[in-house]
Amino acid sequence: MDPILLGGIVAVVTILVLFSGVSVALGLLIVSTGFLLIFDGLRSLELIPEILFGKLDNFALLAIPMFIIMGSSIASTRAGADLYEALERWLTRVPGGLVISNLGACALFSAMSGSSPATCAAIGKMGIPEMRKRGYPDGVAAGSIAAGGTLGILIPPSVTMIVYGIATETSIGRLFLAGVIPGLLLVGLFMAWSLYSTWKTGDQQLLSSRVYTWKEKFEILPRVLPFLAIILGVLYAMYGGIATPSETAAVGALLCLLIAVVIYKLWNPKDLWVVLRDSTKESVMIMFIIAAAGVFSYMLSSLFITQSIAEWIGTLDVNRWVLMTFVMLFLLVAGFFLPPVAVILMAAPILLPIITTAGFDPIWFAVVLTINMEIGLISPPVGLNLYVINGIAPDISLKTILKGSLPFVACMVIAIVLLCFFPGIATWLPDVMMGEAV
Amino acid sequence: MAGQSSAASSRTGNNPFLRAVAALSTLAGWCSAAMIVAAVAITCQMIFVRFVLNQSTVWQTEAVIYLAIAATLVGLPYVQRLRGHVNVDLIPLALSPSARYYMFILTMTLSITMVAIVLFYGYEHWHLAYERNWKSDTIWAVRLWIPYLAIPVGFGLFLLQLIADLVAVLLKIDTPFGLEDV
Repeated sequence: MDPILLGGIVAVVTILVLFSGVSVALGLLIVSTGFLLIFDGLRSLELIPEILFGKLDNFALLAIPMFIIMGSSIASTRAGADLYEALERWLTRVPGGLVISNLGACALFSAMSGSSPATCAAIGKMGIPEMRKRGYPDGVAAGSIAAGGTLGILIPPSVTMIVYGIATETSIGRLFLAGVIPGLLLVGLFMAWSLYSTWKTGDQQLLSSRVYTWKEKFEILPRVLPFLAIILGVLYAMYGGIATPSETAAVGALLCLLIAVVIYKLWNPKDLWVVLRDSTKESVMIMFIIAAAGVFSYMLSSLFITQSIAEWIGTLDVNRWVLMTFVMLFLLVAGFFLPPVAVILMAAPILLPIITTAGFDPIWFAVVLTINMEIGLISPPVGLNLYVINGIAPDISLKTILKGSLPFVACMVIAIVLLCFFPGIATWLPDVMMGEAV
Repeated sequence: MAGQSSAASSRTGNNPFLRAVAALSTLAGWCSAAMIVAAVAITCQMIFVRFVLNQSTVWQTEAVIYLAIAATLVGLPYVQRLRGHVNVDLIPLALSPSARYYMFILTMTLSITMVAIVLFYGYEHWHLAYERNWKSDTIWAVRLWIPYLAIPVGFGLFLLQLIADLVAVLLKIDTPFGLEDV
């Protein structure tokens, strides 16, 4: 059978299986096994356990459970609330203090957790009720946190970037750096929209913040500074050539657990088990998808689908930006339905050869891909962050949260357009810090 | 709602089989979490040995990788019990309760068959490593049947939990896909 046609059949079957309610990892295994059995025979199945094991046999993967422990140990404390409170106390002179503080806290929390739902939940639990209490429109309160939470997968450390780095054999350190400026750009755009929409309500009181005394400003610092020290320590260890991302993540995880125990008094074994249980749950889920996607990508390559699609696209006489538009539309649609990790692992083996042949930088592409995935996190039908917000504030309807999030989707689209015109937004920092990519 | 994962764990009722499998899966979850914590501790020890004591490390990197693999495979049944394996239930949501029931049986049968295949070949792979005394190609030269053991153990327990989930729905103790009938 023609590999391109076979590729089409695989795509349709994969979509049907994944939408059937079966878990993503098992779905990928079922599809891979089925096609391997039909086209390569029974003997090809012998390789499945070996591929599953081999895909996990990678030291870089260790960064995933470590960064997840780091995030969930902080998320299980009051750290998120403290972060935004500290920012509010110190940003009193900045107009729209509270919404700005919340978005700033989302960005800072992202730098510690690497997970979008964790960021959303940690900041939203305190931030949304406080914003609503002070009269912010429900849409702005919910939308800003839903969107701010998505920064978790862009601002380093990001689990999504680690998965992309492993799937495409790209430097994780370089990917992390590439997310910094686009992350700040998004924070800026989110803040600008939030300020505008708050100003539009005509309630000038919302834009002015409460004045805090120096005592109030300083008394909150001891609870926040250790986390900021960890962020700086992680960055220093990673880029000072002291340790690899996995090693740095392990130290970060240990320190965050210690801080949670010492500062936030997380003594109770039951509370500690909750941190470990949540971390284990998320890590196992992601690592299993990685292993299963390894079998899926082996099947695609074994049936010459990956190679044929890349060759076929190469023969098409289309402008590379037209190609990129189609790639982004595909990612956007995939992101509406599937979690970022699954999209990256399934699409990377097919898309990367196409992207690099068309002359796009894989580091730049990682950032654009991640922002596309961020859009998926606040768009229906899956939109994980929307449901996290709905869980925190059940009296705000899903429709209001969605309406509040839409302008932030527009901000993300603007960021993607800016990145297309100025790729340096993503590539400048890694090039300066780590030298030009070879 | 098209969701990804539900926080609720699968129900067992008073059924002794379901409760026994749930207990086994929970035990597997504890082991998995313990292995992740051990991996964190060993990695920190490795950094200390390398950068503070300025000595070379021999076994740590490999041990940590194998621990992470074992944590993943052994943790599979527990995550299944917690319904933590991410899924997209667009089709089940669009179906009537009775069609959803049959859809669940179909997807679970497929999942059980898939896991049984991996268990079968995984056991063969482990057995081969044990019989031929395969060792890793490193200074540590760890006997590979030890890390490979995680494949049959993890997938064996995973298979049990999947069967338990299917039984729970067949006995009307749990609902298909954890979705309540509308």
